[in-house]
Formats: sequence, structure tokens, C-alpha cells
Amino acid sequence: MPATHKPGAAARSFPLHWLILAITLGVSWLAWDHERQTSSKALRSQFDFAVHDTVSRVEQRMDAYVQMLRGVQGLLAITGTSDRSALRDYVHTLGLDANFSGIQAIGIVEWTPAQRKNAHVAAMRRRGFADYVIRPAGERDAYAPIIQREPYVGRNTAAPGFDPWSDPVRRLAMEKARDSGMAAISGQIRLVVDEDRDASPGFIMYLPIFVRGQPHENVAERRAQLVGWIYAAFHMSDFMASLYGTQTPGLSLSIFDDVVPSDAALLYRTAANAAVHPGMAGFAMNANEYLVVAGHTWTLSMSALKEFETRFGHNAETAIIVAGTWLSLMLSLLVWLIGTGRARALRLAAAMTEELQHMAKHDALTELPNRALFSDRLNNELARAKRHGDHFAVIFLDLDNFKPINDSFGHAVGDLLLQQVARRLQDAIRASDTVGRMGGDEFVVLMPELLGTDAALGLAEKIRQAMRQTFLVHGHELVISCSLGVAVFPEDGTDEITLTKNADEAMYRAKNSGRDNVRLAASSNNG
Amino acid sequence: MMLRYFLALSVAIGTLGFANAAAPDCSRPYTLALHDHGLLYSADTDTGIDKDVAVELIRRSGCKVTVSLMPRARIWQLIESGALDFSLSGITDAERDKYAAFAWYFSDKYYLLVRKDTAVRHLADFERNEKFRLGVIRGFRYSETANHLVDKLQEANRVSKAGGLDPLYQTLMLNLIQGMIIEPFDYPTLEEKRIREATVIIEFADPPVPHGLIMSKKALAQAEQEKWRSLVDGMRADGSMRRIFEKYFKPELAATMVDF
Repeated sequence: MPATHKPGAAARSFPLHWLILAITLGVSWLAWDHERQTSSKALRSQFDFAVHDTVSRVEQRMDAYVQMLRGVQGLLAITGTSDRSALRDYVHTLGLDANFSGIQAIGIVEWTPAQRKNAHVAAMRRRGFADYVIRPAGERDAYAPIIQREPYVGRNTAAPGFDPWSDPVRRLAMEKARDSGMAAISGQIRLVVDEDRDASPGFIMYLPIFVRGQPHENVAERRAQLVGWIYAAFHMSDFMASLYGTQTPGLSLSIFDDVVPSDAALLYRTAANAAVHPGMAGFAMNANEYLVVAGHTWTLSMSALKEFETRFGHNAETAIIVAGTWLSLMLSLLVWLIGTGRARALRLAAAMTEELQHMAKHDALTELPNRALFSDRLNNELARAKRHGDHFAVIFLDLDNFKPINDSFGHAVGDLLLQQVARRLQDAIRASDTVGRMGGDEFVVLMPELLGTDAALGLAEKIRQAMRQTFLVHGHELVISCSLGVAVFPEDGTDEITLTKNADEAMYRAKNSGRDNVRLAASSNNG
Repeated sequence: MMLRYFLALSVAIGTLGFANAAAPDCSRPYTLALHDHGLLYSADTDTGIDKDVAVELIRRSGCKVTVSLMPRARIWQLIESGALDFSLSGITDAERDKYAAFAWYFSDKYYLLVRKDTAVRHLADFERNEKFRLGVIRGFRYSETANHLVDKLQEANRVSKAGGLDPLYQTLMLNLIQGMIIEPFDYPTLEEKRIREATVIIEFADPPVPHGLIMSKKALAQAEQEKWRSLVDGMRADGSMRRIFEKYFKPELAATMVDF
């Protein structure tokens, strides 16, 4: 067994490259983790900014509508509520264009305590609404019917008289506006002018109107001096469409009335979110923020979709971990190669030595034992046969007419022919026999444990027959023959030199007697 | 006796002289914004500490000041840009110091208001349980330890933001958030009993934080800021500030707030 490697060297190199791998992978992981955290932090702040931005845009838009309604409030504080043309002209001047597309209607609600109900109805009928009634019907402590709705087109021409004070959701906002003297919006409602039950959810903004010239500095004064309200009715979807600026892409947005995000309280939802239930997997981030707009709370629920992460994320983590792992493996491999170099060199040397040893004892062309190895075996057999009083034979073989083949077809064909000859020889002999190549077209066969001279001649004859069969080399059908000389121990010699000399001499005799022949050594013949 | 009268008289004359010298420039109208926040100001009733302070300050200044209501975050934006002159009950930090000047008139401590059923008794308990969410008002800063808690929870996505106190109390009672940071004047007038019953308060271990009149540095020259500051100092010195606070707090608490 050749010494391929030293166990000690392997034991030393074994932990080192694993250690290097562990360290470099660890460093890669740290870099990846750091990048991931940095990236996630940046994404988070981008998301927070988007939430803040959306909140600001909703608040500012609401402020713009409050300002507009304050204009109407200022107008009515001067003209009073009975001059219908004042509001009509004012709204006409506003030209509720795309800038105010959120508004469905602007109108006036008249504060009517029970004792003034009949006078109110009579006054409205005098103004031309012959069938005027307060809706819903029934006796209540106070009423606040809508007396005018502008612009007076389409759905807004529906009969006046609806009493929003009778609806708790609207009434809450009206009370808030009255007591604070400021704008207040209602919770989620279906607008009265919306006959379709599936109409987009809406809300109403109220501003109080007080008696002109009277103080309304505190709650008591404001309640005492109340004339009515100016209101603006909105569809939530239109309100959201009228926001200034652009929505950050990759985000889905829902707005709910009050603080509990439920389907019933849903005011608005972006298209991107419509198909997906909030909180589903795939959302990287989400946040709820509570807006207080015109005295009312809305919950703004925002989620980042995958698109947001792709658009604003760094995405360097993957590159880091892939490159890091690859470099770690390469570095460890390098360390392993250096560490195990000696062991592998020794293994290589041993393999090469083995090959050299083989080459030293075999013929490179035919792989048959060469003269040296054959000589070894012959000497072994000599010793053995002498010890046991056995017989053995040495057969010399020379190809006839080989040189012309070499000359006419070239050395390549000659070499291939020699390889085929070697194979045929090996096929012809017994397993215990040795066939070797002496050089050129000369071969030699050692036949140990021979029963008699006849057996040796029989094998020689078998070989001679085999050689006469046509060889096929590179498409050339080649016919050759051989001349064989047989020497038997101990009759034809008791040492290597004598035996080989006699076999050689017998082979030349075969050649000289016309080739394609077998001849026994002269001494055997004599014997 | 004579001496005492003499002293009182000279203080009175001195104050008068000082006040005259410090009268702000009223050649243009000013703007002041309130924010709806507990006892500071309630839009529902149009009353509160800030409103009272504003009325008294405007009266003493003799200037025309338009008062409006805005979210706190917007107030800071407008103060920074110079579009708004004043607001009230502001606290400072390094960032705000760059664009705002202050005239302090009360100081108080911050508390963590936390649901009783969370079993939280120390600040660390709240921070430790990852399920607990904290509610804050967007644009608000608090005392140092409180700010630290907010920033840390914000990083862990455990903060719910709101535009005012009302939704925070609502979500606290609905257990959507488990805690919020409050000051003594943050209890709402409505529902106060129900909230007190369901919660405990934990004090932040920070010194009291001064609150004051916020003045936009962009809108008001240094000399003008000094004049407004002396008006506030005057309200403190003559006890009118304390009287305003005594309308909303027990006398002892009012005293600790305005005497600092």
C-alpha cells in the first residue's frame, strides 16, 4: 500500500477550511442582515412618509372645502336665508367645476323649533312649493328642514323639506357645528338625493348661520342665535378623487368612518385594495392612522403592496448573500486546496510511480511484458521447475514478412497490426502462460508446468495457425505468418541464456526452412 | 407701612412703564392657531386653557389677532414657514428651536396612560410586550424618556398615530391601542370617569417640561418676540395665568403647573 497521505496533515487542514467557511459565511450573513435592516428601515420611512403625505392631502382638501363653505356662510350672514337667488348666484359663480367635483350639493337648512313649524311650512308654500311638507312626517321638538339645494339641476331638484335633524348621524354633526361655531362633518351616510341604494358612501359638512349682528361667543349664545346651517354634501369617492397631488404608487388605501375599520364603516377603498382583504399575506407593511377632519374621526388604513417594496426597496440583500456565499465557498475551497496539497501530491507521486513501474516492465505498444519482466518470470520458473523437477518451454516467435507491411502501409498500420498480434497471442495461450514482446516483430512465450515437448509443439502450432488468419487493420486485409522456435527445460538448457539461445536458433531454422513453420531446438531433436 | 406703599407704588409704576415700553407692534394683524386637545381647547365647546390665555394675551397686546383651529402637525409646519405667528402650549426640542421662540407659562410632567387589564406597572413592562401598541398624536413631542419610548416603538411598528386625542381615547377603550402618553390636561371632559376607571398612569422619570407661547421666528423679529414674552411674563406675575389654570385644575395642581 503506497503512503498516499499523512493522517496528521489531514487532521490539521480539516478544521481550518471549515472554520474559514463558517467565518466568511458569518460575515456574509452579518452584511446581509445589516443591509436588510437598513433597507427595511428606509422602506419603513418611505412608507411613513407616504402615510403622512396622504393624511396631509386629505386634511388640506377638507380645509379647502371648509374655506369655500365659509364663503357661503359669509354671504348668508349678510343676505339671510330667504333670498333664494343669493345662494343660487353664488354657487353659479363658484362654478362647481372639476376643482369642486367632490361636492354633490350646497344647501341651506332652516332651524325650526316646533312652535315655528306651521309658519315655516306656510312660508315655504308661499315661496312656490305648493306641496311643501317636512319629511319624515311626525311631530318632533324641533325640525331643521332643507329649504334650498344648489346647483338646482338633476337630482338636486328633488323636493325640499327633508329634515336632517331627524337623523342621529346628521344631527350629531349639526349640533357640533352649532356649539363650536365651526365646520363639522357627519359620519358615513347615504345622501338623500341618491336614490340608488348602492350609491357611493357620502358625508355632509355643516357650518352654522347665526342671527346677524348678535354675539355668538359661547355655546349658550350660539344656541340662542341659531338661524340654520349651510351644508355641502359629498360622495366620498369624488372627494378622494379631488385630492391635490398624486398618490404614491404601490400602496392600497382604505378610509373608514370612526375608529373601527369594518366593512360597514368603509367610506373609500382604492382599486388596488378592492380585490384583497386587508391584512392578507403579501403585505409588507400596514398602518392605521386616525384623522380628525372637521371635528370628525376617520381611520385611514394603508398597506404597502409588493410593488411598493420593489419600487422603493434597495434589493441589494439578495446580491450580498449570493456573492457572499459564493466567495465564502471559493475561499474555503482555496484554503482546502492549499491545506491538502501535500497529501494530494504524495498520492499523485505514488500513482505516477506505479505507472512508471508498469511502464518499466511492459511494452508500451502492446502492453505485453517486456524483456525485463519476461526475464524475471523465466528465472522464477527456472527456479521452480528445478525445485520440482518440472518441465517448461520457451517459444520464440518472429513474424514473417512484417517489414513489407510497415513499408507499404506505414508505421501506424504496422503498430496496429502488432497490437492485434499481441491480442491473438494472449487468446491462444493458457492463463498460466506468459507472452512477452522482445522488440520489433519478435515475441516470446513462457509455458510453465509442461507435461511434455508435444504440448509445447501443440501450442506453437496453435499460435502459427492463429497468425495465418487474416488481420483487418484500417480497412486493409493483411495476411501474415510467423516462424516459431521451441526450447524445452531441461532438455534444451538449464539456464536462461541457453534456453533462449536454443529457442532463437530453432526459430531461425524455421525461418530458413521457408517460414510459417515450427521447429524444436536442436538438442531436443537430438535427444 | 409707608415703605410698603412706596414699594407697591414703584412696582406698579415700574410694571406700567415696562409694559408701555414692551407694547408689541400692532401695525399688522396677527394669526394664532389653537388645536383641539383636552382641556387646552375643545372645539365642541369652544373653551379651554389656551383659548383663555389667547383672549387675555390678545387683550393685553391691543393688537388684532385672528384665531383659528388646526391640527398640531400643521401648526408646526406653518410656524416654521412663517405663515402663522402664534400658537399656545408648545414645547421645544432642538429642531423646533431653529424656527420657533417660546414664552413659557406652565410646566408639567408626562404620563403613560395604560389599560388596567394589561397589568403593566412599569414603563419597561409596556415596551417588553410586543403586542402592546402605543397611541400618539402626529407632530407631538413629549419629555425625553417618553420620546425615547415613542421612537423605539415606532421602529417596531407599534405606534398608532392620530390627529387628536379623541380617537386615541376611543381606540384605547376599544383595546386597539393599550397605552397613550398624556399630560394632566389631556383627560376629556366627557367620559373622564369611564377612562379613569379602566386605566392606570405611570409617570415618566423626567423633570417637568415647560410649555409656552409659540412664536414664529420667521414672522416675528427678536425685539417683537421679547415684547410678547413680557406680556406672558406679566400674566404670570400678576396671577392671571394662575387664575386661568385654577378654572380647570385643583388649586394645588394649578400652582405646581404655573410656578416653576
